[in-house]
Amino acid sequence: MFHNRAEALALALPAAVFAAVVFLAPVVILLAEGFRNADGWSVSAYSGFLSDPLNRTVFLRTLRLGAAVTVVAAVIGYAAAFAIVNLPPKGKGRMIGLVVLPLMISPVARTYAWIVILGRTGIVNQALTSVGLTDEPVRFLFTETAVFVGLLQLFLPLMILALISALENMPKDAIPAARVLGANWFQVFWKVILPLTREGLVIGGTLVFTGSLTAYITPAILGGSKVLMLETLLYQRVTVANDFVSASVIAFILIVMSFAANLLLKRLATARSKR
Amino acid sequence: MNSRLFPVTVLVLVTAFLIGPFFIIVAASLSEGETLAFPPQGLSLKWVAKVFEVESFRESFAMSMLLAIGGTAAALALGIPASYALSRYRLPFGETVRTVVSLPIIVPGIIVGLALLRYLVVPFGFNITLALFLAHTALVLPYAVRVVSASLNNLRSDIEEAAVLLGSSRAGAFFRVVMPNIRSGILAAFILGFVTSFNQVPVSLFLSGPGVRTLPIDMLSYMEVTYDPSVAALSALLAFMSIGIVFLAERFLGFSRYV
Repeated sequence: MFHNRAEALALALPAAVFAAVVFLAPVVILLAEGFRNADGWSVSAYSGFLSDPLNRTVFLRTLRLGAAVTVVAAVIGYAAAFAIVNLPPKGKGRMIGLVVLPLMISPVARTYAWIVILGRTGIVNQALTSVGLTDEPVRFLFTETAVFVGLLQLFLPLMILALISALENMPKDAIPAARVLGANWFQVFWKVILPLTREGLVIGGTLVFTGSLTAYITPAILGGSKVLMLETLLYQRVTVANDFVSASVIAFILIVMSFAANLLLKRLATARSKR
Repeated sequence: MNSRLFPVTVLVLVTAFLIGPFFIIVAASLSEGETLAFPPQGLSLKWVAKVFEVESFRESFAMSMLLAIGGTAAALALGIPASYALSRYRLPFGETVRTVVSLPIIVPGIIVGLALLRYLVVPFGFNITLALFLAHTALVLPYAVRVVSASLNNLRSDIEEAAVLLGSSRAGAFFRVVMPNIRSGILAAFILGFVTSFNQVPVSLFLSGPGVRTLPIDMLSYMEVTYDPSVAALSALLAFMSIGIVFLAERFLGFSRYV
């Protein structure tokens, strides 16, 4: 540890000043704009925003999709992570590689694939028609289901990776011990695995939830203007109506929800592990 | 329940869900037909060839490359000294500095882009390309600081203290002792930053002007007007590029340790 203060500041300040000027200041000014009207400080922009039923629908839909994606990712994530952790070392490395890989591929490309799969003449519709389940193609694109599937595919790897590292850090003999003592698999999960991997679940859950809340590409491609989420609504308000006040309100809501999710999950994790 | 069958089924399904769409994109891009379809109608490389003929793709690809390489280099130039100060010095307000440089990861990109447009580009007549460059630098900065800090924290600090005691200057100790030891961490940070910046959409949404566009934004607007398979072909090419980068990085660096 070095103690030269001037040197330390000279090294760290450029980055800090850059982030403060280029990033922090403009964002803070943008957020402040939502709390002002002609007479000074006010929250009228917020009451105005929330009194519009369309905005409320979009807000609730964003929360609902975020929660649904997080819960489903957690369920699939546990099953997948558990299977991966129990593979022999070589297979484990390969599987982790396969899970990391999609994260490096452009989300536009990954989302675009769902148009081919879910479109009117897509694979799903072809299968449904050939089996005779439907006569006319079912509309999947521009529905909440399509956005849900797209988001799940985008963020599932984050949950799996977080749970893999949590499961690896679990004491190796905890599960056999519980089994020997007569616990069934449900009890093993609920009483042993879940408490011991809570931290990984919280990390994965936060990443998936905040990622879904602030998603732009997926709702833009798979939802269109029929299934708006908060970020696509923000974009629409600015480009269609030049409405920067609504943009500021949405920005504030997004930031508050991201921070709240972080805090809440952190709190849940520590409160539970203290018991 | 068979105890072997269950995990295998789960892995097959999850892999199909995560990787399958990629194969479908590749197949659809090899189609001969005029519209996007799977299975492809006939086989041809014409859509792959078309990607290279569309001029806006060429321009936006160059722009994305410039931002990804330049922005990441700038983020590292700012981030490496900051990480060094955070891990080796008793820095006043160290936690505040760490929070400020990490914030761009938490705040949604679309807000950063809009804020830069409103308060830098419009009032001060900032060049759009410069604003994009600053935004991408800010976006990559948290990753640079996180990955470089991690490799600095894994490196014992007594070897550089020894170098200083033996008469080396502080800077000399950094460049001759520390840098060679964290080189793979820096390279990993560069790759992570490059991929993040290259694939980034929301930050660049509002920061586009005539002739100034990143590749993903260009793809989004192209697919709004045309449904031909060229975007599929471009997606497949980009995916192959990412796979190549990640494969090489994993081979030579053990990249997944840093992600």
